[in-house]
Amino acid sequence: MSELLQFLIAGVKNGAIYALVALGFTVVFASTGAINFAQGEFFMLGGVLGVFFLRLGLPLPAAVLAAVLATAIIGGAFEALAIRPLSAGDPLKIIIVTIGGSVALRQFALHIFGPNEMIIAPFSSGPPIRFAGAAVERQTLWIWGLTLVTVACLAIVYQKTMLGKAMQATSLSHDGARLMGIDTKKMVTVAFVLSAALGAVAGLAVTPLTQTAFDVGAGIGVKGFTAAILGGLGNPLATVCGGIVLGLLESLAAGYFDPLYKDAVALVVLLGVLFVRPSGLAGLMRRGRG
Amino acid sequence: MRGRHLRLSFGVLKAALAAALAATKDAQPISVGGGRFSTSAARSAPPPVSAPHPSFSSFRFSRSGVSLCKRLPVLLLVCALAMSGFGCKTPGSSEEPPSDNKGPFKIGAVLSLTGTYAPLGESAKKAIDLEVGRINAQGGVNGREIQVLIEDDGTDEAKSLAAASRLIDREEVLAIIGASGTGQSMSMRSELNRAGVAQISLAGGTVITDDFDSLVFQTPWSNTLVVPYILDAMVARNVSKVALLSDSGGYGKDGRAVILQEAPKLGLEIVSDQTFNPGDTDMSTQLTKVRSSDADAILLWNAGKEAAIIVRNATDLGLNLPMFGGSGQARLEFIEGAGEAGNGFVFATGRSLVPDNWEKGSAQHEAVSKFAEEYKAKYGEPPDIFAGHAFDAMAIVVAALERTEGMPTPAELRDAIEQTSGIPGFGGTFTFSANDHNGLGKKDVALYVVRDGKWETAE
Repeated sequence: MSELLQFLIAGVKNGAIYALVALGFTVVFASTGAINFAQGEFFMLGGVLGVFFLRLGLPLPAAVLAAVLATAIIGGAFEALAIRPLSAGDPLKIIIVTIGGSVALRQFALHIFGPNEMIIAPFSSGPPIRFAGAAVERQTLWIWGLTLVTVACLAIVYQKTMLGKAMQATSLSHDGARLMGIDTKKMVTVAFVLSAALGAVAGLAVTPLTQTAFDVGAGIGVKGFTAAILGGLGNPLATVCGGIVLGLLESLAAGYFDPLYKDAVALVVLLGVLFVRPSGLAGLMRRGRG
Repeated sequence: MRGRHLRLSFGVLKAALAAALAATKDAQPISVGGGRFSTSAARSAPPPVSAPHPSFSSFRFSRSGVSLCKRLPVLLLVCALAMSGFGCKTPGSSEEPPSDNKGPFKIGAVLSLTGTYAPLGESAKKAIDLEVGRINAQGGVNGREIQVLIEDDGTDEAKSLAAASRLIDREEVLAIIGASGTGQSMSMRSELNRAGVAQISLAGGTVITDDFDSLVFQTPWSNTLVVPYILDAMVARNVSKVALLSDSGGYGKDGRAVILQEAPKLGLEIVSDQTFNPGDTDMSTQLTKVRSSDADAILLWNAGKEAAIIVRNATDLGLNLPMFGGSGQARLEFIEGAGEAGNGFVFATGRSLVPDNWEKGSAQHEAVSKFAEEYKAKYGEPPDIFAGHAFDAMAIVVAALERTEGMPTPAELRDAIEQTSGIPGFGGTFTFSANDHNGLGKKDVALYVVRDGKWETAE
C-alpha cells in the first residue's frame, strides 16, 4: 500500500512538471497554431540561469525571479528575431524555426555554461514529510505549489485582464482580432514570453531534485508535448490533467512493469491519442459536459 | 577554442534557418487552425470566420487541434530527421596530404562532447588539447607535429560509428582515441576492422577488452578490475544482501553483468536488481522497490549524471542504507549533486585519483602529479579520471609513434602500441601484451569515501 502511495506521489510530482511545460506548448499553439519545439530549452534555461544567478551571489528568491525574467526575455527575443520575420505566419515554418532555435539555444548553453550538471539547494531545507509509510520531499510541495499558483495566475490573466482577452481573441481569429484593433503580432510575442516563463518556472522547480544541464531540454520537451496532446492542445485545465495523467502512467509503468520502458509509455500514449482520440482529454470533458 | 565553438554554433543556427527557409519555400499551404495561416496564394480566399478555433479559457475543444494532430506523426518524423543531422562537429580539415613526408601524425579522437557523457568527453578533450600543445611546443614526435582530430559522438552509438568512418576515410588517421562511452566504443568496431585502424578506448566497460580484438586497447580500469574490488569492500563492511541499481547504457549493463557474475562468489546475494535509463531524472520508483526488499546496502553502477539523483532520492525516501559505487562516481559534480546525502558514499576507482596514494618519488607519482599540475595551470581545476584516461591514451600513442620510423601505416602503429611496456600513466603502469590490451591490475585500484564534499582514500 505504501508502495502504491509512493508511486502515486512520484507520478503527480513529475506530472505537475509535465503540466507546466505542456502549458507552454498550449499558450504558443493558441496564438500561432504552431508547436514550439524550443519549449524544452526554456525549461533548461530556467534551471541553468537559476544556477548562474545563484553563483553570482543573488539570494534564492532574487535568483529565481531573475532566471524566470531572463528566460522570458530570451523567449521574447527568440520570437522577435526568428518567428516574426516569417510574416506569412505559416505554422509549419514556425515549427521548423523553433526546432532550429532549440538546437541553437542548447549549443549556446553548452558553450556558455559547460557540459557538467549543476544543482540548486532545495527551496526550503528539512527532512521529507512522511505519512502512511510514504515520503514527500519538501521540494515536491514547492513543485505542486508553484504549479497551482502558476495555473491560477494564467487563468486570471486570460479571463480577467484586457491582455488575456486580446490573446484569446487572437487565438479565435487572427484577422478578426486585427480588425478589432488588437496588435496580433504583439500577442504572439506575449505568448512566447509567457511560455518561456512557464518553462523556466518548471525548470527551476525541479533543479533541486534532478540537477540541470544544457541537455535536459529535449527529454522534457517530448514529455510536455505528449501531455499537451493528451490534454487536447488548447485547453489549460485539460492540459494540466494531461500532464498529471502522463506522470502517473509513467510512474505506475515503472513501478509495476519495467522502469526501462517508462519513456516508451509516453510515446505509446502520444501515438495512441493521435490515432484514436486526437481531441485528447478535452474531447472527453466536452462530451462529459454534454 | 571557444571562438571556434561559437562559430560552429552560428553555423548550426544558420544551417537550421536555411533549412527552415528551403523547406518552406515550396510548401503547400497548411490549414491549421481553420485556414487562418496560409501562404499568400491561399490568402485571397476569405478566412472561414465561423470555424471553431483553439480557445484557451472557454473549455471547448476546437477542431483545429485535429488537423494539426493528424499531421503530427509526419511532423515528428521530419523533426527526428532534422535533429539527427545536427550536433556533429566538423574538425579542422587537414592542410597537408598524408603522403607528404613532413606531414603531421594524424590521430583521430571520438569523444562525447554533448549528450549524457558530455562531462567525460569534455575532460578528455581538455587533456588531449593540453598534451598536443605540450608535445608540439617541444618539437613534436620524431620531428613531426602531432595533430588530433576530435569528433563529437553526442553520446550516441550510431554517431560514434559515423565519426570513426569519417576519421578513417576522410582524414586517414593512424589510430583512434575514444570513445568516451562503452557502447560508443563498441559500436565503431566494424569500421576499425574494415580499415585495420587501432582504437584506444577511454571507457571502462569490461566487454571492450574481454570481447578481444587485436585492434582495440583500453586505458581505464575495466569493470572486471573495479567490481571485485568494491564487492570485497562491501563484504568487509558486513554486507550480505545487495540492492543493485544500474543504468541501461553500455557501462551500466557491462557492470551489471560482471556484478551478477562475481557477487555470488563472495557470498553476496543480489536481492533487488533495478535498472534505469541514462537521462532519467527520478529514480524514486526503483528505490521504493528497494525499500520493500530486505537489502542492507545499495550498489550503484552508472557513469552518468543519474548517480547523484539516486543518492538524493534514496535519502529522501528514508533509505538509510550504505551506498557503494565505482569509477563513475569519481567526479566532483557527483559529490556536489549528491550534497549531504552523499556523505559516506564508498566507491572504488584508480589509485591516481589522489596522486599522493603513490609513493613519493616513484615514476608513477611523478607522472600523475606533473600532469595534474599542468592541467590545473591551464584550466584552473584538477583533472578528473576521464582527463587522466585521455592523457594515458595520448602517452601510449606518442610512445608508440616514437618507436616507429617515418610515417607508419595504421598496422605498424597498432603493432607499436601493442609493444607498450612500463609506461607510467594516470591509470597505472601500462604494459600491453598480445592478449592483454588493458594492462592494469588490482594494485592500480583504490577505495574512496565521500566526506564533507570531498573524497578521501579509505581502507
